[in-house]
Amino acid sequence: MAVSVKNYTNRFLVIAILAIMAVWALLFYAVIMDEVYDNIDDGLKNQKILILREAYVNPDIIRNSTEFGINQFRILPAEGEEFTDENHFSKEFIYMPYDEEDEPYRVLRTGFYGKDGEPYTLEIRTSTVEEDDFLINLAISLTVLYFVIVISIMIINHYVLKKAWKPFHQILRNLGKYRFGDVRSFEVVPTQVKEFDELNERIRQMIHRNEEVFDSQKRFIENASHELQTPLAITTGKLDILLEDEDLTENQLIKLSEAKQSLLRMANLNKSLLMLSRIENHQYTDVHQVNFNALLQELMRDLEDIIEHREIYLDYQEEGQFCFSCNRELAFVLLSNLIRNAIKYNIKGGKIYIDVHPHTIKISNTSATDGLNPDHIFERFHKGVQDSQSNGLGLSIVRSILENYPQLSLTYAFVDGLHEFRLVQK
Amino acid sequence: MKILLIEDEVEILRTVKEFLEGESFLVETAQTFDAALEKTLTYRYDCILLDIMLPGGNGLDILTAMAELSIRQPVLILSAKDSVEDKVLGLEIGADDYLAKPFHLSELLARIKSIIRRHAQQGDRYIYYKNAMLDPDSRELSVSGTNVPLNRKEYDLLYYFMSRPNKLLEKTVLAEAVWGDHVDQADNLDFIYSQIKNLRKKLKEAGAEMDLQAVYGVGYKLV
Repeated sequence: MAVSVKNYTNRFLVIAILAIMAVWALLFYAVIMDEVYDNIDDGLKNQKILILREAYVNPDIIRNSTEFGINQFRILPAEGEEFTDENHFSKEFIYMPYDEEDEPYRVLRTGFYGKDGEPYTLEIRTSTVEEDDFLINLAISLTVLYFVIVISIMIINHYVLKKAWKPFHQILRNLGKYRFGDVRSFEVVPTQVKEFDELNERIRQMIHRNEEVFDSQKRFIENASHELQTPLAITTGKLDILLEDEDLTENQLIKLSEAKQSLLRMANLNKSLLMLSRIENHQYTDVHQVNFNALLQELMRDLEDIIEHREIYLDYQEEGQFCFSCNRELAFVLLSNLIRNAIKYNIKGGKIYIDVHPHTIKISNTSATDGLNPDHIFERFHKGVQDSQSNGLGLSIVRSILENYPQLSLTYAFVDGLHEFRLVQK
Repeated sequence: MKILLIEDEVEILRTVKEFLEGESFLVETAQTFDAALEKTLTYRYDCILLDIMLPGGNGLDILTAMAELSIRQPVLILSAKDSVEDKVLGLEIGADDYLAKPFHLSELLARIKSIIRRHAQQGDRYIYYKNAMLDPDSRELSVSGTNVPLNRKEYDLLYYFMSRPNKLLEKTVLAEAVWGDHVDQADNLDFIYSQIKNLRKKLKEAGAEMDLQAVYGVGYKLV
């Protein structure tokens, strides 16, 4: 499962700090103990020198100090073979009345010759650190320190990383807004962080490259369509002239006419492709406030004869004026394609309902087919079942027009046996 | 009737020239920008057919040059580009009409005739054939002086026929003229058939001397 980068780093920090502190604690303990013993031993050695000097000046001290007293040393006569004048340190547990238990003592044993020439053993002792207590205290304070550090790091991480990753989240949001074909729809996020700056730059470059490929494809379609116009014009022209020939037999005439029909289909497809290219290249720049009611009425006047011929009942209801600022020709093509479809896919004696509201135009019609798949009807060259003659570009052109005007949206639904297109102005 | 055809594609030039000469026009041609400019500024034509993309310059510049010298000649733009700006700009600078390639020659002829008529004297604005007269301004037909009511599509069809009497007009061309696009829909051809049936009935009832004749399965002819 993916975790946020904050928690991801925290997980490693917690473990790493634990390991570092454990190693550090061992070293710290060793160094401190070494220093403590060094200090105590120095003190004991110094005391030895003072006692020896005193023993020379005042030999009575040797006789009076056979037991540990307040000064915490004793002098015993040494047995011959035990005698050595080296300093010998040891750690012993000796009962301490204050604590009522054995406590660790540091003991210095050494030998010396008294003024009388006899060998003596000198033992000096002093209380030393309780290593187990020290170890426990050290562990407790280190544990506290560990948690304080970890919690601090988490808190700092939380706020600092949140701030540091802010541009990243903004970049993600901006990427979500990016629409193909519109370079400006991705906004670069200004940031102080080098990595994000680089990310910005890379995304910008990638979008740029993609757009270039996309553009060159669009240009290719446009150029190819352009180049086709001239040969199409020549061929249809030649066929037109040939069709005028009075000497042609019926058979020849029909064949020529059929050839021309196919050619015209190609010419129409070509025209539709060119129109698509131009809409996608935003070449319809002339924008006016367009009254869609007037366009609809114009279209209905234009098509009334064919509607009548097909015995279609047309119901036009106006509940308000649908006005929108756009290119008039595109608006006309948009409505024309929708209404022509409503006629084309209708049945003899069918119905078309057009309802105009200030922000909605609803065009619904009867048809021989059931509901269409709204995911596919706007695709290029998508064709319905009964539709061998259409080029399948009508609704793609509609979609391209709508892409030029994000405030307009078109939805399709199959309601009560009617195909319903709803144009909504936001 | 004298027509100047400005077109750099030799094959289109030859085809259109042959067609227009068949319709008894006098056709002069120009294949380059300079030749076209010289002819438009020097001579008078009944209609100039202007291609926009020419070797040596943009056809729209010829329109501009004419406007600057206040030379007013009827111009029909023929363009393979079929771009809206060219169309809008061309019509603004002074062209009379715009036809995108590829076009039907009969459509071209109808447009040329309509342009020439618009520039003609009052009496020549009407289209006559036998005892029928068509008034493009009021979209009315009269036979022997009596008005015959036509619906929009019937008028459009008759206008086409009367622009080219005695010539074959294909069903698909007629369908495209009245429907706009998606020409070869069986339903639309059926629609054309019923419109022509109505039209023939009306002409017969009005006592017109002309009739629409079916030519095999291909189209119709005004005789």
